[in-house]
Amino acid sequence: MDSFVTPGSMEAISSVYLTSAGKRDGDTETDTSREMKTHFRVCRFIMETGVKLGMRSVPVATACVLYHRFFQCVSVSLYEPYLVAMSCIYLAGKVEEQHLRTRDIINVCHRYFHHSSDPLSCDSEFWDLRDSVVQCELLVLRQLNFHVSFQHPHKYLLHYLLSVKSLVNRHAWSRTPVAETSWALLRDCYHGTMCVRHAPQHIAIATLYLALHSYGVELPVGQREWWQVLCEDVTKEHIDAIISDLLHLYDMEAKWT
Amino acid sequence: MDKDLLRQTLSYHGQSLFAHLKCEQSENPDFKAIEPDLSKASYQRNDGGEDKALVEQFIARKADILFAQSWKSNAPVEYVLEDEAEEPYAIMPPLEQFMEVSFEERRNLLYRDMERGDIVIGRINSIRDFGFFVTLICMGGGLERDIEDLELTALCPLRDVPSNGNHDDPLSYYQMNDLIRAGVKDIDRYHEKITISLQPSSLATNLVSQKLGVLSKDDLPLHYSRSLRVANDNTETYERVLEGTLGYSNPLNVEYLLGKIGISDTQPPSLMRGLQSKHFLEEDFATTIRKKQSASWALKCVRIGVDHFKSGRYVEAMNEYNKALEIDTNNVEALVARGALYANKGSLLKAITDFELALESCPTHRNAKKYLCQTLVERGGQLEEEEKLVTAEGFYRKALALDDSFPDAKEALRKIELLIQKSLKLREEMAAREAEKAKNVETSAEKLRKILKEEKRMKRKRKRSSSSSTSSSSSSDRSSSSHRKSKKKKRKHRRSSRGGKRQQRVSSRGNWSAADDEEEWYPAPPNTSASFLDPKSSRYRSFDVPNRTEEHSQHYSKHRSQTHSQHSLPSVSTNAPDNRGRFEDDPFDISPLRAECSKGKGICDKTGDGEVNGREMEASRGRKKSQECHFGPQEIPRSSEKDKNSRTSSTSSEHSSKSSRNDLPSQSRISTYRRSDSGRYGITERDKEEENRGIRRSDGGDNRSSPYTSRNGKSSAGGSQKKELPSNLLDLFSQIAQFEKEKCKPQK
Repeated sequence: MDSFVTPGSMEAISSVYLTSAGKRDGDTETDTSREMKTHFRVCRFIMETGVKLGMRSVPVATACVLYHRFFQCVSVSLYEPYLVAMSCIYLAGKVEEQHLRTRDIINVCHRYFHHSSDPLSCDSEFWDLRDSVVQCELLVLRQLNFHVSFQHPHKYLLHYLLSVKSLVNRHAWSRTPVAETSWALLRDCYHGTMCVRHAPQHIAIATLYLALHSYGVELPVGQREWWQVLCEDVTKEHIDAIISDLLHLYDMEAKWT
Repeated sequence: MDKDLLRQTLSYHGQSLFAHLKCEQSENPDFKAIEPDLSKASYQRNDGGEDKALVEQFIARKADILFAQSWKSNAPVEYVLEDEAEEPYAIMPPLEQFMEVSFEERRNLLYRDMERGDIVIGRINSIRDFGFFVTLICMGGGLERDIEDLELTALCPLRDVPSNGNHDDPLSYYQMNDLIRAGVKDIDRYHEKITISLQPSSLATNLVSQKLGVLSKDDLPLHYSRSLRVANDNTETYERVLEGTLGYSNPLNVEYLLGKIGISDTQPPSLMRGLQSKHFLEEDFATTIRKKQSASWALKCVRIGVDHFKSGRYVEAMNEYNKALEIDTNNVEALVARGALYANKGSLLKAITDFELALESCPTHRNAKKYLCQTLVERGGQLEEEEKLVTAEGFYRKALALDDSFPDAKEALRKIELLIQKSLKLREEMAAREAEKAKNVETSAEKLRKILKEEKRMKRKRKRSSSSSTSSSSSSDRSSSSHRKSKKKKRKHRRSSRGGKRQQRVSSRGNWSAADDEEEWYPAPPNTSASFLDPKSSRYRSFDVPNRTEEHSQHYSKHRSQTHSQHSLPSVSTNAPDNRGRFEDDPFDISPLRAECSKGKGICDKTGDGEVNGREMEASRGRKKSQECHFGPQEIPRSSEKDKNSRTSSTSSEHSSKSSRNDLPSQSRISTYRRSDSGRYGITERDKEEENRGIRRSDGGDNRSSPYTSRNGKSSAGGSQKKELPSNLLDLFSQIAQFEKEKCKPQK
């Protein structure tokens, strides 16, 4: 379905960006890993754009999930991933009630690909880009059967943080940045598909677990583990699996950017 | 790097982590600095396992971020007691309870973590004479622990129980099993003794708002009541409780909790190297790009607009400028261009606003400054012609302040300063002269008054049941009262002189009418809206020149018609002969004002004064004419009203109709003057108002007016004329002389 592929600068630049990167890594890469690399890069693009647009964590997460779910159904060679990403950002803003203007999205994305360039003037290129974003948005909606509302780990993580906080000494808590670390880990996990493969509560618990573990915080022991209490159906294996996925993402970053 | 934190981590993980750290952070100078301290301690050797190794590697790699001092959100978030009824997020029972932490453990933890200033809630279990004992059931204010079954007892000594005002034993207020909220005063961990207090001073600063003392069951904290529910029901899990709360469903709970915990969502933390906040440049952000883009789009429109302007297509140019300003409000170029267009069209004030706005955003814009100077000078010129010398001067000064070297401004400022000085001198002279004449004229005024008194007595015989306004005052009053009256008028004028507003005039009018009751020859119509007590009106009088001599008015009209088409003086000047008759009443009405003016209220007053004097001269001439003048003008203005459409003519005709009725015409005149000065705005409304009033007065069979007119009709010319003369004779002769001077002045 090539009809909506964007004319103009964006497609040209981004395809160059992708193929040249692919060539750089050599032919030994399999298709899947190449795809994973693309997805990683595009998700990085989404997260960067999210920060520049002032998006909150939850809409950015929604955008990433929309993107991952979309490409679970279709092949990446058929659609321009960066365009899909832009449309996912736009759609996520609507879903999570943080409405973004297409003008801003286009401005930021254009500058992402053309560093230090002047903003686009109000000409046909601009309107074409805008049309593409809007059309692609409809495409994404249809591909996902209009199921665009997701439960995210964020609110679970925050409540868990409060509950765990009451278990420890207040001074110890204030000097240990468990909250910041777990929040950072949670945001970073959207670079990969783990965010759609695991339940939100599990992801929340795993990130909290890793944060506490990193700083060596010792929690009181009762009949039941604190993580078991917070979510009945989570097991240590789940937690370990999620943690390993997460760590893998950091390795990917080292490899691919 | 946070040394203590690292030490804590290392002791938890062991030596292997230390090895990883050394390897991964070998280039980190911060780490190198503390490495020697860390290596002093020996950490136990853990048998890692592969998973552990990966985690340790991760920690080691990210150590520079994880242990950075700036990583912690430094703002210590104070515990804010939420309004539990709102429940912005889910308030959960203590985790200890779910975890089923052992009795001992919980007790130890509590003693470890409880501090002075915390809030506890308990039940009174015994009251003694030295205080009462409380069994703690839960903590309030942030430390959520499951302590009820620990059965800890705290003592609240007598001195910490607040007295309840009526000198009873304060303990008598409390009973067994009362629920108490108290502050922790002291903890003896060794002996496991807790002392509590009901004094607010015992609380920590962030908890001071909490009310201490007896509680009802409803006031118990939510986490406690929920924990009771969980204790009673085995099937309640954390998750179920969470999903059952209202706060869980709040869509804004994430935002709220982030604020509560102290994490920023606009500069979010990340452990990815590429997403560290230092890599984000301000100019890549959406808002910055949008601003730049709006400015460039607006500039495009401005360029097109300037093209239109140069080709004379002003409407299209204005449209383009407005479009540009819609895209980018306060765009400097668009404002300057639009200002120039306004100035060309003649809307000087709008132009000035635009230029000033432009200069606010960009104070060094050359064109804006230049145009603004020019426009200010032009506006000053306009004002000067309108005789608003002070305001004009202000404008010239402003122009000079902007640009010292602007020659026109300097020139104009110099000229106007001279003018102002001259008019000041003139006023001083007039004042001096009037003071003299006041003494001379009095005697003749007294004579006149006597004649008038007799006349009035005759009239009263004819009409006993006549209007209330003609009150019989003693003859003795007249002579002195006229004198008093002028003084009162002066006083009232002074009071109301500054107000150019109707309210002030109303009040002065009120005073006026009160005073008027004493005087019979001047029934003050209470419902006149305009007061001639406004000294500014003298300025306005200069616009309407009905009372000038032909040549004077013509001169003025020439002068005026050049600048103000609205004032269509030629038409007015033809009314001059009529007006002369009309102004028989004026001296009467004007004089107090003049007297005020002569006190030097304002420069404008003085310039106006000259005209006033001139008018009065006319009036005096008119007086010498026969009575018929009175009615004559009545007819002529009517026809002139029909003929002329200009505002001034209508106002002058209005006043002619009014004056013929001897309602205070100067009042209306003044209001009309004001109207013409206030210029282009809202004149028509006021005009209509005045006209209506005038018509009402003219039509309405006022007791006041009818007896007056009938009186006019009946009394001899001399009599009625004399009535109007009274205290104004004072100034009469001075006016003549001054008027002559005035004639000379504009011709200079």
